[in-house]
Amino acid sequence: MILDPILDVFRGKAVTIPPLDGAFRPNTRLDDLPAFAELTEPDNLLAADGRLLVSSGNAVLAIASGSEPVVAETFPSPVSALALSPSGDLTVGLESGKLLIAGKEVSLPAEIRCITALAYADDGMLWLANGSAQYLASQWAADLMRKGASGSLWSRAVGGDFRKVAGDIAFPYGLYPTRGDVVVSESWRHQLVRFGATGNHSTVLTHLPGYPARLSPAGDGGAWLTLFAPRNRLIEFVLQETHYRQDMIDQVPPAYWIAPALASNRSFLEPLQCGGIRTMGIHKPWSPSRSYGLVVRLDRAMQPQFSLHSRANGTRHGICSVAEKDGRLFVASRGGDCVLSLDLAAGGF
Amino acid sequence: MDPIVRLEDVTKTYRGVPAVKNVSFDLRKGEIHALLGENGAGKSTLTKIIAGVVDATSGKMFHKGVETAYASPHAALEAGIAMVFQETSLVPSMTVAQNLYLGTEKFLNRLRGTYISAQQFLQSLNFPVDPNAMVATLGAAKRQMVEIARAVHHNAEIIIFDEPTATLTPEEKRHFFALIRRLKARGVSIVFISHALEEALMIADRITILRDGELVITDDTSAFDRDRIVAAMVGRSLSGQIYRQRDETKLRKAGKKVLSVQDISMSNIVRNNSFSIFEGQITGVFGLIGSGRTETFKIVSGIYKRDFRRGGAIELDDKPVRYLVPSEAVADGIVYVTEDRKSEGIFETMGIAENLFGGLLAAGREKAWVINQQEMRQLSAEWTRTLNIKAINDNARVVELSGGNQQKVVIGKGLVQQPRIVIFDEPTRGVDVGAIAEIHQIINRLADEGLAVVVISSYLPEIMNLSDRILVCRQGRIVEEFSPAEATEEKIMYAAVH
Repeated sequence: MILDPILDVFRGKAVTIPPLDGAFRPNTRLDDLPAFAELTEPDNLLAADGRLLVSSGNAVLAIASGSEPVVAETFPSPVSALALSPSGDLTVGLESGKLLIAGKEVSLPAEIRCITALAYADDGMLWLANGSAQYLASQWAADLMRKGASGSLWSRAVGGDFRKVAGDIAFPYGLYPTRGDVVVSESWRHQLVRFGATGNHSTVLTHLPGYPARLSPAGDGGAWLTLFAPRNRLIEFVLQETHYRQDMIDQVPPAYWIAPALASNRSFLEPLQCGGIRTMGIHKPWSPSRSYGLVVRLDRAMQPQFSLHSRANGTRHGICSVAEKDGRLFVASRGGDCVLSLDLAAGGF
Repeated sequence: MDPIVRLEDVTKTYRGVPAVKNVSFDLRKGEIHALLGENGAGKSTLTKIIAGVVDATSGKMFHKGVETAYASPHAALEAGIAMVFQETSLVPSMTVAQNLYLGTEKFLNRLRGTYISAQQFLQSLNFPVDPNAMVATLGAAKRQMVEIARAVHHNAEIIIFDEPTATLTPEEKRHFFALIRRLKARGVSIVFISHALEEALMIADRITILRDGELVITDDTSAFDRDRIVAAMVGRSLSGQIYRQRDETKLRKAGKKVLSVQDISMSNIVRNNSFSIFEGQITGVFGLIGSGRTETFKIVSGIYKRDFRRGGAIELDDKPVRYLVPSEAVADGIVYVTEDRKSEGIFETMGIAENLFGGLLAAGREKAWVINQQEMRQLSAEWTRTLNIKAINDNARVVELSGGNQQKVVIGKGLVQQPRIVIFDEPTRGVDVGAIAEIHQIINRLADEGLAVVVISSYLPEIMNLSDRILVCRQGRIVEEFSPAEATEEKIMYAAVH
């Protein structure tokens, strides 16, 4: 209607959460998978030199079928990002804001304090996502609750220095280099944005039903996108209520904030919605959960094809990273403390 | 056991056309007797003869062994025979309590006493109806409850229920069946007419099946299963069509997303409801009465308005839309086929052609001031053939058609508007088994042709049979989506209730 733009001023902005249907239709595929390896809060996954590396706390471990994870390397602070250069150098971002390439520390601009993702392009260009200017990578919930948009994107050509490509990004959490550009998952704006080397950008996929995390290349040219937590009405409401949110940040421990989480239902002190979550002893899979497990397959145009879920009543939540290797997809579940393995050929997609 | 009512070779003709032909029927004391058959099979006529609503043309009726013929429903009621009609016979401008005691008032009535006694009586039946409420303000289900309560209140020893459960929720049905069993335990004989075969199999002691006015079979319920009943009702087996099993490979794949509904709200009836509708697929929507499913789709089709402030967003082909009137939705290709065909779907006293043409006028495809009669007749002939509407001629009055054929006219009225999205609300309510199969075929054909189809139904077998995906609505929002291949009635009902 012609008057809609005028009426919209009075109607107020409706914050809408897209439904989980179509390519996002819920299933229990992640919960149905057997655990490939069990370890505490596995975060980054990386296929390197025929091995599968996973970061967990301060360590990078090698995992293989039928054997216990083996520590490959340890670091002075938790690992927040992993990448492998075309020449095979392991590149590690640390919670402390340091970057190590092949074990050597690389000097970084002072602005980089929160390395959330690293990725090499085919030409050796290193892309770096700096999640927030104020918070550490592990303090992502605080950045969301403060409605942070201080993230930035950096690149470093072979032999060059780091150069800021773009700023004011609402928590960049995943990188996918493609044909000279890079696709960035912008968590707090629930979207994927393509950035060129000069900082020009365009939105690739918007209105996601959760908070996007890392991106990983898929075998046929598409990508895998992980979403580490779902959006829900209660959290959207809290994000609109400035004073309430401020009081919550000031007075409540972060673990019990009404905020997205990597795992939930571990403590009775967590925010509950009573019968909305559990009825007659059954945890309802459709209940509005703070945590969820979601991996989405994107095609070459970065459009969703299908997805793997661990629903509200599941345990494989907080998926931040996946890696495809030898026809299998490996999924790191931080909330479920395990790495899962899926045979893509027999997946029935 | 001696029957309490016995009919011998009863025939009833209307203008020479027999509605019931030489039917012999008996009802035993304290039994629940289900009477099944397609629309027009003669069930209602047979029971109306028993209840004194119509006279038999020939044949005999015995009540407690005495040959009798009641001249009026009042006379039958005096003799202990009550009938609960499909179309409720309550007075809308009176309260529930007044309706309950209508005809049995004392010379001096104390209004407060009447309400208290009505309240106690309704509570004893487990019916959550306010005795002070005006009947006009009640929904169909509650009106049905008052009608049932009135029959029970008259202490009848024979109660005839004509489609009593059509408008009840599963929860209310459970209460109703418990009530029927209590009545049976008190020695009341019950005749139970229903289209839901499961209900007959569940509650009845004996089943009688009529077809084309003739009695096909009477036997103990244990001798029947669903296939046998359907075969007896329609003369052929339809179970493969109406109650087929679905497997994942046979489900239609979702096409392009045409409609995206995000967090729409309307008061406390529809609350932050979100879902998408895809082309080439049937989306089944199940929910109990009051779950907001009809209201949600009435918002989508411009009949109701969502909340003015923060009412959510509706996107058609990724473009936001907000309809002020239904014609705007129709112009965008969204058609809503109503659940209440009598008051919202058809002009009863008009002909098929006029009704179908009305659909074109509503869509703005024809001008109202110049009506080409020949074009109208052509339209009617075409759609009568396409939808297999059975009528004396192409422009028979809709009121003269059976429920199934009336429903096909309502569907035709929507389809002439050449929609992209068709929303069917309870498409087979009050429709017989044969017509159900035909309506299901029409719905499937539309999806096969690439239209986005939505089917709202409270009948679980229908939802599971038709849908390519099942959405469950509870308390104003879609809470769960199932694939028909994995869904069970228990899973769907749990999601709908909890």
